[in-house]
Amino acid sequence: MQRLPLIACASLACVLAACTGAVAASPPRAVLDAGHKEFLSAHCMACHAGETPEANFRIDDLPLALDSVAAAERWQKVLGALNSGEMPPADEPQPEAAAKADFLDVLAKTMVVARKSLADQGGRIAMRRLNRREYKNTLRDLLGVEVDVSDLPADASPLAFDTVGASLFMTASQFEQYEAIGRAALAIAFKKHAAADVKKQFRQEAETTLATFKKANEKLQTNQQAAREWFKKLEAAVASPENAAFVAKTRPTLKSEEEFKFHWRSLVGLPAPDDAVPKSGNNPQFLTAILEEKRFIPYEEHYLSMPGLDTGAYLAVPAGPRAPNSNSRLNLDIPADWPPGEYIIRIRCAARPEAAPDRRFIEFGHRHYGDRMPAISAHHVTGTMDAPKVIEIPYTLTDADSDPAKRRFAFREIGTGSGVFAGKLFDEGVKANGIGPELAIWVDWIEIERAIPAASDVPPGITALQPLLDTQNADAIPPEKAKRAVEQFIAEAYRGVKPAKGEVERLAAIYAARRGLAAKHEESLTETLVSVLSSPRFLYRAEPGPDDGRRDLDGLEVATRLSYFLWGAPPDATLRGLAKSGEILEPAVLKAQTNRLLDDPRSAGFVEPFVSQWLAMYRLDFFQFDPALYPKFDNSTKEAARREVYETFAWLLSNNGRVSDLLKADYVVVNGLLADYYGLEGVHGDAFRKVAVPKDSPRGGLLGMAAVHAMGSNGEHSSPVERGAWVLRKLLNDPPPPAPPNIPQLSRLAGKSLTARERVVLHQEAPQCASCHRKIDPIGFGLENFDAVGGWRTTDSSMAINADGKPDPKTKKTWTIDPAGALHGGPAFKDFFELREIVAARPEQFARGLTAALIEYALGRPCGFGDEPLVDAIVKDASSHDLAMRSFIHSLVQSKAFRTK
Amino acid sequence: MKPLTTCISRRHVLATGTAVIALPAFESLGFRRCAAAAAGATPPKRLVFLGFGWGVTEDEWYPKIGEPGAGYGLPAMLEPLAKHKADFSIVQGLWNRLTGNGHYGSTFWLTGANEYGAPGQSFFNSVSVDQVAARSLGTDTRFESLALDCGEAAGGSGHGPGLSLSWDSRGKPVGGPRNPVEAFHRLFAKETTPLEQQKALLGQRRSILDNALENARDLGRSLGTTDQDKLDEYLQGIRDLETRLSRDEKWIGAPRPEPSLDEPKPGLAGREEIALMYDVIVAAIQTDSTRVLTYRQPVTTLLTSMGLKTEAHTMSHYHGRPGDVVESSRKRDLAQSELLAGLIKKLKDTKEPDGSTLFDHTTVVYGSNIRTGHSLDNCPTLIAGRGAGVKLGENIVVTKGTPLCNAWLTLLKGSGVNAGSFGDSTGELGEIKA
Repeated sequence: MQRLPLIACASLACVLAACTGAVAASPPRAVLDAGHKEFLSAHCMACHAGETPEANFRIDDLPLALDSVAAAERWQKVLGALNSGEMPPADEPQPEAAAKADFLDVLAKTMVVARKSLADQGGRIAMRRLNRREYKNTLRDLLGVEVDVSDLPADASPLAFDTVGASLFMTASQFEQYEAIGRAALAIAFKKHAAADVKKQFRQEAETTLATFKKANEKLQTNQQAAREWFKKLEAAVASPENAAFVAKTRPTLKSEEEFKFHWRSLVGLPAPDDAVPKSGNNPQFLTAILEEKRFIPYEEHYLSMPGLDTGAYLAVPAGPRAPNSNSRLNLDIPADWPPGEYIIRIRCAARPEAAPDRRFIEFGHRHYGDRMPAISAHHVTGTMDAPKVIEIPYTLTDADSDPAKRRFAFREIGTGSGVFAGKLFDEGVKANGIGPELAIWVDWIEIERAIPAASDVPPGITALQPLLDTQNADAIPPEKAKRAVEQFIAEAYRGVKPAKGEVERLAAIYAARRGLAAKHEESLTETLVSVLSSPRFLYRAEPGPDDGRRDLDGLEVATRLSYFLWGAPPDATLRGLAKSGEILEPAVLKAQTNRLLDDPRSAGFVEPFVSQWLAMYRLDFFQFDPALYPKFDNSTKEAARREVYETFAWLLSNNGRVSDLLKADYVVVNGLLADYYGLEGVHGDAFRKVAVPKDSPRGGLLGMAAVHAMGSNGEHSSPVERGAWVLRKLLNDPPPPAPPNIPQLSRLAGKSLTARERVVLHQEAPQCASCHRKIDPIGFGLENFDAVGGWRTTDSSMAINADGKPDPKTKKTWTIDPAGALHGGPAFKDFFELREIVAARPEQFARGLTAALIEYALGRPCGFGDEPLVDAIVKDASSHDLAMRSFIHSLVQSKAFRTK
Repeated sequence: MKPLTTCISRRHVLATGTAVIALPAFESLGFRRCAAAAAGATPPKRLVFLGFGWGVTEDEWYPKIGEPGAGYGLPAMLEPLAKHKADFSIVQGLWNRLTGNGHYGSTFWLTGANEYGAPGQSFFNSVSVDQVAARSLGTDTRFESLALDCGEAAGGSGHGPGLSLSWDSRGKPVGGPRNPVEAFHRLFAKETTPLEQQKALLGQRRSILDNALENARDLGRSLGTTDQDKLDEYLQGIRDLETRLSRDEKWIGAPRPEPSLDEPKPGLAGREEIALMYDVIVAAIQTDSTRVLTYRQPVTTLLTSMGLKTEAHTMSHYHGRPGDVVESSRKRDLAQSELLAGLIKKLKDTKEPDGSTLFDHTTVVYGSNIRTGHSLDNCPTLIAGRGAGVKLGENIVVTKGTPLCNAWLTLLKGSGVNAGSFGDSTGELGEIKA
């Protein structure tokens, strides 16, 4: 057999390296080194060779080049049989473990190369529809409304960016959803437009809650008194001779004397629970619950003794799920007749000097947010009792007239929406002072005001339609004027692309037919425009052109690619102007526009979707972190941790910082809440900003971020495997192959108390596991000093599970974390800091991974082998600019690939 | 065109597709009678596929391989189905050999396709068995088939890409109602608009779709083949709507059937949501609104609705992780078995016009492409119902590595669908035939 040159070698990085040196961009062939056939001939070919092989499967004639689907399938079969342990059969000699692991490693990686080559689209970018968020942003920019797109299929998947056209499908039901959303968007836009000048303002003085508070307190005291008396009557009834027979018969069935309360109907002389406490549902358990609330009384009395109740109110802590709502939240309701639009909600408040730093935060959200429903936002209360401050929260009211629940809001102290958290806080307070937690936040008033849009804020779609909207008598609109308005709307909706031949006439016919059905002008207009908003020219980004010839994009196409890349939204008037004149095609203009788009707040429409998908942050939403285990990692802190990743990236983008800062930095980008979580002092307010960290801090860079470690957990414990694989994929750009199917599972150590390391070391026993885990696991262990929510720790513990499936405290084992290890075939490290150094010393690998991700995201197709020269060029250019963030974006935007169909 | 007077010719018209043909205004109630009469003679065959993503707790879900036949001991995870042991069979040894993604429990379950089957594409799929069945079984009903889904919850539930379990003849995902409320409305929404206005609105609808079609064609003229292929999805979507419209036109005036359940409450998630969707499935069959249904069930919300905190994917890797993880996996299995038992009971309790029950004419397949963890061999396959002549009450062990598509082919043929082969089938699965 002809020997083939060694191309695929032990690591993918090596494969890439082999081709990066080449001038031509021919994709690497997925070819196995002929040497590997020795492994197969030693262990497989005795049976699987010749004309009549076992199971009709031949290995001796397997091609070493995996350059067809058929060849890849045959090798996949070999890989599958080895992975599952099916082959070689148990009664045959087995390969040596290390040799098997090495072979599996090479074969799995070659399969990845083969799949990638076979799927290569040759640089072609399939036309694609707007994905869910682009569609939402496009309607926002066109009509000035925020629509609910959750009915549309989610486009993001763990495997590809939501911009990749090949996976953006379209179906009949989706078309109908576009129609429905378009209809709703127009309805809200029209309402908003009609109400453009409507002023609304309302201020609620917090002290108005005092009367209700007092009333609830009195009611609680009265009810407790009544409940106590009812239980006395219960005792008397049980003791009464009248009931002796019943009592004697029933007592043996009860666990305690108190359970007689459930038999109140049978006990003569005992009033109904409702007679004692009205509206108890005649449920004696309700009375018991009221009695258990007695601990609120001192707390409420303490509340009532506080100063400042004549001018404001305190946010109290609810003591648990059954706590009365005595000012544990302050409500704000938007009246049903207030029109949709932009609102500003304000709260004037102060933190008491007694308030601990971590209790100087409030949350704003829909009324019943808590464990399951996160707050809308969290805010740092920086005002003092002497000088309270006003916090402003912008809010877009979208639901014109629907669900009243969506118009009910509330403020709380942070975390207290969770019953478990609040209960814990309350218990700690009682333990400390016998009364309850210190009152931390005082509120003067809450206010809401409708923001009147400036004339320049009128969205282009509405400007176009103005002649058709501001009219009492639709029939009086001259047809020419109506036609021009619709044409102008189409030009905006189609982002400058011309409508189809005859489209305007067809739309006119749709309008006329609708009017013919006795529909009103506005309704007919809406139905007509819905057709525009569900037309392929609106929903798709088409770059027409013949098959074979690649062509340069025209100005409008470049502008459109650019704005959807950096805003996730359509090009604005400036961009379209430059597109029309062709100036956008000049590199200097394109660069200036790139900078302008990045400087615009709309670039959040790039940062969040790109970063969250690139770094696989969807895992953060996998878990409900238990407030009993991790009370400080409440929903708002989790959101702040998520934001930290975006804000750090955004900071690098606005300041053109080094992307290698994401590997290691002497600063973090945090707000007051997250600084408090990290134990950094002196950071006040809700804005994220750069804050220096001490030299010996584990913070700074992605590996110090709480979100990254929370993603690398299962919500309860750290997951060294998740973390190790993530570092390989995202930071070292050396992704392990996908987890193979049909691997034997490890169950034999169930019921033992094992350290995390002992448990995962099992991975390395079987060669089919070791081939990947010997690379993944050491890195994961190096990160073990971070707990499941990114807190720093030096010990960990575990308990075995007993027969009832409960952790058994007797088996509790605590150990000091030993982070030491070595990269597989690479340098050793003794702790997290050394591991971080090793990772930080490889910025170019990281930059390559980032570049490939940017290419895939921006071009909407997988980054194939044909893109290697582009990756090289971008990284090379960036390296000469100290890996400055914007150089990546500029190189990509200026590249031929970005500007070519 | 001749007025349609027989079921055969009407079926013929429907089967040939009627995207833009203006149909003769045949008497709609007569049409209804025609369908009803056909149903009266022999109740029609139905197929239901229920997919549950992340596999099962294997050691306690599968009957012992060494106990084939009717005398097998019911495993703990199937205990809630004890009353119905005679009503279903477990088939062991099947798999989709071309699938390799340990996180896709549904994408290829009903297709058997090879994800990498098309060079130059990063994803490939082919038609699912239900859609093949729908082409023959779905001609006489208001809905050719119904692909039910669980919306956002599908994301973490181990299903893989897709919009439901169903994939159309071009290998594109089929979407459908994503919760019981949507499904209920699709099936049973009352039409209050007067007949004339309904007709006018349908006409309007047609002109809106025509416009969309024209716009797409106009755009398509300037596109290369790859882009054209993408635009074809849009065109196909519009054509599907037109076909549906033609169906609506034929059914215009025929009152929507009375469902056997009240309108479901919105906002239910997990366990109650599945139970309600099963009720909707029974109602859809009972009213003969459709004869082919698939349901991609939620797993993430099933867990949360039972107060379980284990994340669904973690749960599927319960091996060697005692305590909450395996406990969640067990509770998931038991809940799913209970729900299935409820569905079987309803099908058995609901009578057909001829006195037989829905169960006698329906086949329910319950399973996933994932067995457990990332294992795709011997994928869980439970078949209930007498609709396709499947042997019930047995632990059927077939040769390891038999294509799952052999089972699908057998069900197609057993349900009266004329099919020569399906997916990677190598023949019918004689072992499951009664």
